[in-house]
Amino acid sequence: MSAPAGGVFGAPLKRKEDPRLLRGDGRYIADLKAHGMLAAAIVRSPHPHAWIRSVDASAAREDPRTIAVLTAEDLPDLPPLPCIDAEETTRPFNQPVIAADKVRYVGEPVAVVVAEDRYVAEDVAELVVVDYEPLPAVTDAEQAMEPGAPVLHEETNLCDTLEYRIGDPDAAFEAAPRVLAERFATQRYAGMPMETRGAIAEWDPRAEKVTLTTSTQVPNAVKRDICASLGMPESRVRVLVPDVGGAFGVKIQTYPEEILLCFLARRLGRPVKWIEDRWEHIVATTHGREQFHDVEVAYDDEGRVLAIRDRCVTNTGAYLQRLTLVEPFIGVAMLTGPYDVTDFEATAHVVMTNKAPMNPFRGVGHVQAAFTMERIMDTIARDLGLDPAEVRLRNMIPPEELPRPRGLANVLAGEIIYDSGDYAECLRRALALSGYDDFRAEQEEQRRRGRLLGIGIGAFVEETGLGPYEMGSVRIEPSGQVVVHTGACTSGQGHLTTLAQIAADTLAVDMADVDVRYGDTDLVRWGVGTYASRTAAIGGTAVRNAAVGVREKALAIASTMLEADVKDLELSGGRVSIVGSPAGPGVSLAEVAAAAAPGQPLPEGVESYGVEATDIFHPKTNTFAYGVHVSKVEVDPATGIVTLLEHHVVNDSGTVINPLVLDGQVQGGVAFGIGGALLEEVVYDDDGQPRNPSFMEYLLPADGNVPDITVEHMVVPTPLNPDGIKGGGEGGAVGSPAAIAGAVADAIHPGRVTATPITPARVFAALVEAGLVEPEAGRA
Amino acid sequence: MSRHTITLTVNGALHTEEVEARLTLADLLRERLDLTATHLGCEHGVCGACTVLVDGRAARSCTTLAVQADGAAIRTLEGLAADGAELHPVQQALWEKHGMQCGFCTPGIVMSLVELLERDPQPSGEAITETLGGHLCRCTGYVKIREAALEAVRLSAQAGSGTHTPEAR
Repeated sequence: MSAPAGGVFGAPLKRKEDPRLLRGDGRYIADLKAHGMLAAAIVRSPHPHAWIRSVDASAAREDPRTIAVLTAEDLPDLPPLPCIDAEETTRPFNQPVIAADKVRYVGEPVAVVVAEDRYVAEDVAELVVVDYEPLPAVTDAEQAMEPGAPVLHEETNLCDTLEYRIGDPDAAFEAAPRVLAERFATQRYAGMPMETRGAIAEWDPRAEKVTLTTSTQVPNAVKRDICASLGMPESRVRVLVPDVGGAFGVKIQTYPEEILLCFLARRLGRPVKWIEDRWEHIVATTHGREQFHDVEVAYDDEGRVLAIRDRCVTNTGAYLQRLTLVEPFIGVAMLTGPYDVTDFEATAHVVMTNKAPMNPFRGVGHVQAAFTMERIMDTIARDLGLDPAEVRLRNMIPPEELPRPRGLANVLAGEIIYDSGDYAECLRRALALSGYDDFRAEQEEQRRRGRLLGIGIGAFVEETGLGPYEMGSVRIEPSGQVVVHTGACTSGQGHLTTLAQIAADTLAVDMADVDVRYGDTDLVRWGVGTYASRTAAIGGTAVRNAAVGVREKALAIASTMLEADVKDLELSGGRVSIVGSPAGPGVSLAEVAAAAAPGQPLPEGVESYGVEATDIFHPKTNTFAYGVHVSKVEVDPATGIVTLLEHHVVNDSGTVINPLVLDGQVQGGVAFGIGGALLEEVVYDDDGQPRNPSFMEYLLPADGNVPDITVEHMVVPTPLNPDGIKGGGEGGAVGSPAAIAGAVADAIHPGRVTATPITPARVFAALVEAGLVEPEAGRA
Repeated sequence: MSRHTITLTVNGALHTEEVEARLTLADLLRERLDLTATHLGCEHGVCGACTVLVDGRAARSCTTLAVQADGAAIRTLEGLAADGAELHPVQQALWEKHGMQCGFCTPGIVMSLVELLERDPQPSGEAITETLGGHLCRCTGYVKIREAALEAVRLSAQAGSGTHTPEAR
């Protein structure tokens, strides 16, 4: 369904949301105030692992500045936080809302205090005395699986082991001429939005209703969890979402603080606000990624992969979260990416340690999968003296074999069936875009002069457009305004523009006449939210389908008004008129809406009042986006510092709604990947203490770390939704670490890269190991 | 906690406030004066979201105490294009070039670029890089912010002097 030339669908429109934000009229959670509002502060565990002997809140309670203190004693019988992707085999190591007898990571909530403002709340929080009995901690996943390791929960730290097997890998290994074995490891890092978490809970005694305004991606899920925790029915809990200053996945969890605030507001009868500070964010908001893959790869003399065995270990931290198992599921099930590997087995251990819990964030599982698989491709290329691009081309699934079921499935996401695309063409285009061949020549020349340049490829396939469903509703008001309600929940992706483009396209109205509303569970009964690169494909389809329903109804009403057959009518410029004469006789959409308003007989042939329709779109399966990144780097042999020179992306997100917005998503994703490849890590010492919980030590990419990023969109529409849209929010983060790692490895060959972040120290050590520099060289 | 009476100008309006010594300038602006465009991303002076102009110079309002701003002229994002006035060239450029996504870091970036352009209407690429280097953005990947900064220089030159006269220092 494409718009005529000059239409809004597919056009690089400036965003509707920006002028308001640019004027300072954004209203993020910290900006909101309510009458009589109080501030909460959380007392958090300073220990990674300890028994709680007692919590003495008497001094805090006696302080006249204290309004309230809650500990686990005040909140008995609260259900733990849910994990919705747990399998039958998953041990129920869920997180309590507030620690009762034991703490399992530094930052775990132990008590909450309330005072008139945040300064005072932090003062009185210090008066809460918790008597801990420290226990030995374990932070390394392999150590945590060993007998005798400190056990966080019951019996074992091994929360689950997932097993995948397709084909006959044993036979393939038996027959294989070549085998490689290596460990590829990805570190723990985090979504780290610029806005931390925060929420305000309010109690309305008249409606006997709690309203939580919270910086989340999934308001309807948060509402369900609050209903369960507070024992309140659906009509008495409302979740609202303000402007959200970035989320990236870390705001898909219902966090303990959101539940605690609701309790406090109901108990105190006053609004209670809590805003996380950055230290809290780094220790107590979910992390992701920490996972390694011990792979064995069988391949032939032409570089074709015959079989892979993967032992994957995910260090998931102290507790299950809403979607803890996604990281291991995707990490192994999507390991083989765009490559034709039919004999495969994987074992994925999910291990609890005394670190903050993990939950998906941008690129979940795919990042580790692509890093591992692309390092495998490069390793094979080196072994055989082939160009890395050529090895990839020989292994890619050819386009004529799509759709291709991969014989694997993920819980919640279902069967993995690559739906559409051309992986080899994407690679060829990326090589051309990056000037790959020219760089190879330049690289040789520069290496002779002592400059270490490298180029790397990061190809990936990514599950996007995740279900289960999304809601879209569209209506035409009597003013002619088109109002869209969506269950999507924006945090910077531009949905108020892109979803409006879909509605404006379907109804042939001006963008200015479309208003997209979201983030209110009273308005959107069946919303899901924004994550897993799903909003354009799933939320967008719901809006498209609803708008098509509205168009049909509008035409039916207009047909009565104009005494013309529906098939002779068309919509343009906000009017219904006779096909071919848009300026001729017709009626405006406002007139159509007025004719269908209650208070008068329904127009002939029209069955209900109002010009509105709702669609809840359930995709049959995910759609699989893909892309190829090419990165060029220079490595300073004296310091091991990696400088990115250029980064190029060819990406197939299917049909593009707004190329400006999609470019921004991809470029932002690449910067994410740069952080993961080179800079970022949430570091814990062996005793479980976080070592870098501030932006002074946790290094986010800054302007100077990010080179020019060119993005080209390759469009192979998916057959799985009417507009052919695949996801676009995460691929930038998925392909980039693999490409950068490949480029660094290329630059320092025969030095090797098997783990991220690729810090100067690691690079320097690899250079020394490879004999490219003297061990003393770095000490100058 | 000692209390102090301070007087300062914020976006041209004079305010006298009694404050605790520990109150930050950011919290004074946000909590007392309801100027919430100045955002707090880290509260330890790294991310730059809280950048405001203090007597014409970009400063981190999270690590500036309110008492340090006694007697100063403060400018925040709200003062740039008040009451529906045309967007400042820096704001316009960020819109045109999609130099923002969630918008949380944007106010700080706007204020730093405004300072830069007021100091030097034709800044070098290096000066732009140095200015942007003081800000973290998690959404955009910076590429479009850089494009926006160059566009702001162009729009600013086009608008000419007089449209956005820097305040007396």
